[in-house]
Order: sequence, then C-alpha cells, then structure tokens
Amino acid sequence: MQAFIDISKVHFSYRQSNQDPLLAVQDVSLQIAAGSHVAILGRNGSGKSTLARLINALEQPSQGIVLVSGRNTAQEENVWEIRRLCGMVFQNPDNQIVGTTVEEDVAFGPENLGFPQPDIRLAVDEALAYVGLSDDAQKPPHLLSGGQKQKLAIAGILAMKPSCLILDEATSMLDPVSRHDFMQLVETLVHDQNMTVVNITHHMEEVLLADFVYVMSGGRVVTSGTPAEVFDQVSLVRREGLDVPDHTEIAHAVASLLDDQLQPLEAASWDSSRLAILRLLDAAKRRAAQTNWRPALPPANTPMDLEGVETVVQVKQLSYVYAPGTAMETRALDQVSFDVHKGELLGIIGHSGSGKSTLIQHLNGLLRGHKGQVTVLGMDGSTNADIRKIRQRVGLLFQYPEHQLFEETVFQDIAFGPKRMGLDMAQIEPRVLKAARIVGLQDEELERSPFELSGGQKRRAAIAGVLAMEPEILILDEPAAGLDPAGRDEILDYAAQLRQMGVTIILVSHSMEDIARLADRVLVLRQGRVHAFGRTADVFSQEEQLVRAGLSLPRTTAFLKSLCDDLPALDWHCFKPEDAAARIVAAGMGLSIGAERTV
Amino acid sequence: MLKQISLGRYYPGRSMLHRLDPRAKILLSFFYMVVIFLVQKPLPMLLLGLLTLVLMLLSQVPMRHIIGSLKPILFILIFAFVINLLTIKGDELVTIGPVTISEQGLETAVRMAVRLMLLIISTTLFLTLTTTPILVADAIEHLLNPLRRIGFPAHEMAMMMSIALRFVPTLLEETEKIMKAQSSRGADYDTGGLIAKARGLVSVLIPLFVSAFKRAEELAIAMEARCYRGGEGRTRLKVMRYTPMDIVFACLLVVCCTAILLVQYL
Repeated sequence: MQAFIDISKVHFSYRQSNQDPLLAVQDVSLQIAAGSHVAILGRNGSGKSTLARLINALEQPSQGIVLVSGRNTAQEENVWEIRRLCGMVFQNPDNQIVGTTVEEDVAFGPENLGFPQPDIRLAVDEALAYVGLSDDAQKPPHLLSGGQKQKLAIAGILAMKPSCLILDEATSMLDPVSRHDFMQLVETLVHDQNMTVVNITHHMEEVLLADFVYVMSGGRVVTSGTPAEVFDQVSLVRREGLDVPDHTEIAHAVASLLDDQLQPLEAASWDSSRLAILRLLDAAKRRAAQTNWRPALPPANTPMDLEGVETVVQVKQLSYVYAPGTAMETRALDQVSFDVHKGELLGIIGHSGSGKSTLIQHLNGLLRGHKGQVTVLGMDGSTNADIRKIRQRVGLLFQYPEHQLFEETVFQDIAFGPKRMGLDMAQIEPRVLKAARIVGLQDEELERSPFELSGGQKRRAAIAGVLAMEPEILILDEPAAGLDPAGRDEILDYAAQLRQMGVTIILVSHSMEDIARLADRVLVLRQGRVHAFGRTADVFSQEEQLVRAGLSLPRTTAFLKSLCDDLPALDWHCFKPEDAAARIVAAGMGLSIGAERTV
Repeated sequence: MLKQISLGRYYPGRSMLHRLDPRAKILLSFFYMVVIFLVQKPLPMLLLGLLTLVLMLLSQVPMRHIIGSLKPILFILIFAFVINLLTIKGDELVTIGPVTISEQGLETAVRMAVRLMLLIISTTLFLTLTTTPILVADAIEHLLNPLRRIGFPAHEMAMMMSIALRFVPTLLEETEKIMKAQSSRGADYDTGGLIAKARGLVSVLIPLFVSAFKRAEELAIAMEARCYRGGEGRTRLKVMRYTPMDIVFACLLVVCCTAILLVQYL
C-alpha cells in the first residue's frame, strides 16, 4: 500500500543573508500511512517544524521528494490540493485567526477554495459543532481562551474537508487542562474520521498517544519506533533534551541503584514498570542475602525549616474585581491571604483564570486591591510613595518575557532596569555582567541586538534584565512556558540557584511537576480563592483536594502511590523521579535512606 | 482589561436600521450628504432635521449615545459658528463693543452648524452606530468591485481592513502587557519630563512593532496554509443580497428628501 505521506531523501536549507545557508533538514526519509497518528519529537531547532512545512508545501525540498497522497509538493499545480488535504495548526493561537468572528474564521478556508455558499454554511456549522464551539459562532475570536482558539484552528481546517492534520507545536502555549482537551479532540479525529495526524511536539505525554514516533536532532531522524521503543532508550532521549515518562525513568533509576539491568521494553508501560521494579527488588534481596552487597542510597533532602524565619510578603484578605459595575465584572481574587518567608521558594499553582496573574501583579503595585492589605518588605503595596521602592526590590518576570526586549544591544537591555533605579555606570556594569553570567550569556552576545538572538537566548536575556536589578524577591510567571524540556530544566535551575543565593522566589506555574520539584510551600488558587496553602508535601498528599481544584497528583507521586500495595513501607510523598527511586529501594530492601542533609 | 473595548461606536441591536444592507446604508448616507448640502432655507432645513430625528428613533439607539458622537467635533462646530458669526458682514443686528453681528452672519453660522450636526449624526447613524466595522469593510469591497477591472485592489483593501480590525484587540492587550512588564523594570509612563516620557514610549513601541511584524509573518503563512491566494475565485460565507426592505426604505428616503427639496424650490 502506498503511504499517505512519503518523504524520501529530503534535504532543505534556509537561505540566510550574508551567511552560509542553514541546513535545517538533512537526508530525511519517512512514510506515514493514511489514518495513522505519528509524532515527530525533537528539541527547538531540530528541524521538526521545517519538516511540517515541507509536507504542507509551504516549503519545497532542495533535494529529494515529498509526496502527499501521491502528489509531488514541488509541482505548482499540486500545492493547493495538498494544503487542503493537510491542514496545519500552528503554535501561536492568535496568529492564525483571520476572521473577526469565530464563524467567519472557520469559513476562511472554504471561501479560499471557492466552495459554493450553501456548502460553506454547512461545512462551517459542522466543523464548529465537531469542536464544540457552536455557541460561540458569533463571538469575536479574541474573547476565546487559548485552548478554544486552537480548537477554532482545527475547525477552520475541518471545514476544508482534509484527510490529514499537522500539528506544529500546537499545544505548547496551552495550559495542561486545555492541552489535554485539545489532544482528546485530536484522538477523536483519528478514531472517528480516520484522520492522519502528524504531531510535531516536545511533550512526552502527547507522544505516548501516537502509533509511531520519529525523533529528530540536527535536521536528521536519530531514532524511530513505537513510543515504548523510543522511550526505552532513556539515555538517548535525555541527551536530545527531551523527557521520558516518569515510570520509565524511575524504573531505570532503580535498576542503576541496584547495579542491575532492565530487559528491553520492560519499563515501557506504567504496569510493566511496576512489575519490573518488583522483579529488580526481589533479585536484589536475594543477592543481599547471599553476599554482603548493599545498594548505596543517596542522602535525602529535608525541606527548609521556615520556623521563625522573617516574613517578607504579607497578604491579608485581598480581593480584586475586574471592570466593576459593568457587564464584564469578574471577581478575580476573593479574600486571599498568605505570607512568604525570606529565602523560601513559594509555588503558586492553579488553572488559567484562577487569579494567579492578578495576584502577583499586586505584589509589585501593578494592580491595587479593592479590599485587603498587601505588605511587601515592610512597605504598603497600595501607596504611590512605596510602589517605586517596592518595584526596585521585587522583580517580576512576566510570561514570554522576551517580548519586552527593546534596546539596541543585549547589554543595554539588561542595564535598563538598573539605570532606571538611578545607579551610575560603574555600578551597573558589574550587575549586568553578573546577571548575564547567571543565565549563561556570553560576552560577545551582550554586544548583539537582542532581536538577533534565538528564542531561548532571548528568554535568557530578558531574565537577566530582571536579575540585574538584584531583587530581594523574584516573581516568575510561567518562566518555562513554550520552552522544550531542556530549556525548561535550565530556567528552573536558575530559580533553584538564585534561591541558594538567598533570593526569595515566587514561582507561578500550572505544571505540577515543576512546582513539586522546587517549592518549599505551595499556594493552590481556585476561582480566585485560596484552595490550599502549606508545605509542598502536605498539599500534594491531599489528592482529593487537588482533584477538586482540577489538578492531579504529580506523575511521580501517582506512580509511587501505585507501588504502595506491594511495598507497604513506601513513603509516597515524593515528587522527583531520582528521589523516588531511592525511596523504592529503601522500602523494598528495608533500608533507611542515608544521612539527611539540609538545604 | 482592555479586552472589553469595542472598535468604533457600534451599538448592538436588531432595529430596521441595523438590518439594512450595509451597501445600501453607504449609498444612502452619500445621498443624504448631498441633500444636506442642497438644503438652504430654514423651513426645508427644519424638515430635514425632523427626518433625521425619525431616523434616530428608527435606530433604537439611545439619544444620549447618538448625541455623544458629536463630542469629537464639538470644538470645530463652535469654532465654525463663531467665525461665521463674526466675520460675515451685512445688515447690523447687534453691536457689543467692537463686535458687530449681522443678520446674514447669524444665518450662515446657524446653517453651517446645523448642517455639520446633521452630517455627523446621519453618517454615524447609518455607518458607525448600526453597522459593524467588518460589514462596512465588506460593503466597501462589494461597492468597489467593479473598479477591479481597471486594476483597483478592492479585495486586498477589504482584506487589509478586516485583518486590521481583527488584530486591534490583540495588539491592545499586548500593549498593556508590555507596559506592565516595563513598569516592573522601572519604566515610568506618568511622571517625569517630556524626554523621560518619550523614552518610556520607546520601550513599549519597539517590542510592539517587533511583535506586530512577527504576527504578520506568521499570519501570512497560516493564511497560505489555508489556501489563501487572493480574491480570484473566492466565494463568501455571507452573501450580500438586497431585500425588499432595503428597496422600500431607500425609496421612502429618496421620496422624503425630494419632497423637502421641492419645498425649498417651489
């Protein structure tokens, strides 16, 4: 049978002004059968998005052939039919909506194809019903949420009667709940409509839904197989800067602690990982009984002791209403109270619309509460006189901070904040250099225009711009949004590093994993109210309460919990795969975890 | 929250004026404009005022809202009135110190002011208050379509207008976000001298432009991916059709206006 998409020996390079052409795709050959769900996995810059454009005839290969449903993408007359057959959802929800109402946007494709008017009407109504946006047909698109906008993009494609859907990092700007929703819609399309799906992504959870995975790196396919086969190559996947499923990672970590080996594919699924771990533990117990071998366990971390530590932020009964007295009135915060201790890392977690962003804007005076009290570093967050001083001592890094870069050079951009604080050049320069060092920017990069940097570098420069103000409190709003796993780990590392340097950090995220990994305490917001507030371990051990807030246990914790039946001694209040492995071995072998060290 | 802003002063409703074909409204407002300039004498002027009042009532838009549309031209209105009043020479009416007001001056000033008011009220009534900007754009495309034969880019113009309308709220939201981010870095938009303020503006405008260009580029690719290739062979979801209501309304309006003009010339 002929494959629906047939890519053979394709090379592609981008022309660059006054530089050598950039080789984005090198010698890629792959076949995608009709009705299959294929994931193309890779870090930023691995060439995976270019591949998507080659399939959709937005680019033509410099060498090799791309056939879509038997049509060569290099032939001009095939282009429109190929684009109709392969709809494409892009990364940024806002930048692919053309229409001024939801309905008109869906009609855009069929209009371009010259469908007769009654057919357009029918296609639009069907597509909107399919993605669940029928009630919003007349709405202006900017009033939709990010998740709804991406569903609108799918509707716009469905209306063109395609047979293939290409998702180009379509979920990377969505929160976990919307992402889950979106992927469910995609799954339905695969099953109900026999849609071929090519999902270009760096999200490990999405890849697990695919039938087949290609991993790309440096423009080449470095490995391929079923998700289980690919993730079984833990070290290769890690080297590519990607995540592996927690259960696989934990099983591999247990094997290495026990100086043992896993069978191929033994840790592929959740259940098989569980069984593999139990098998390894049995073997290790036998070995320990016969010899004097004992596994060496790493020391456990104990959380920071917050008893008697100075309070730097005190929020009491804070309420905030958007657009009071109008039809759009929304209660964003409702009697929120909490405190932040000096030197701690507080995680704030909640859904989109739970009030996280509104809350943090109160902490440096960008918003003032209608009721309640905000005290920051002993200053009142509602008086004009104090706000300037507060902003100098509280750094606030917004989502996608690279959008705020504007100076001629990276150096000047980083120096903007300190300059506004009234420092002179002799004080500014060491601050800029120090901040640049923390985020790993090279000296020669400081002299370049911020707009010449790559996406990841821009994010670093923007972070340095806030760090150079040497804030005592640093508020990070989704600092890792849109980054691949390697980029995310790097940014979260800075947060951990700064905390070691004594900076108080407030980390806003909707990733349970990130918060669980780093935070001393957690504040869970739900519909503008404090849903839970306390030590990370305490908050995350109350599963029911989390579920009620629409959140779930971190994956590692959930996996540990599933092992408790077999290992009654196991303490499952743990969030990091590497710590989890040590706990499993300790519980399984009847050992205690090594000397505790304080952070 | 800039999300709530609406472009123009469109007042949502289902009145007869709202439901008229936008092309008809554009053509009728041009016609009305001509009539306003043809009317000279006080009686027909008064009748035209009454007719406009009827249109205002037909639109079901609150009076306050309609009168509010005069606010931006209030200064011009007063200025034109005063200039006409003081500069036109003729039969003396009153003299206060060095200022003499003539009969002709007063007449011209009043005529001028009434005309301006009628002009603004009728066009906002037909176009901005009862028609969404996107419908206006569509209607302009349709009306200019015949000019395509001589190479006038009617479709492209309408597409540009509609995309601009689509992105206004997005860019406003973005402006707010950037301003907040720069404020957090110590930028100040309210206090400080002129230079400091201009400097502050740069820190907003540059990122805004950079992002707008990026959006434009991505949107162009997304449009191509959805088979956009210009207006050739393109069909529309919403087809504009004149209804009997459009014809009846247009006829009535033309008859009324002709009657008013007849009153003036007979």
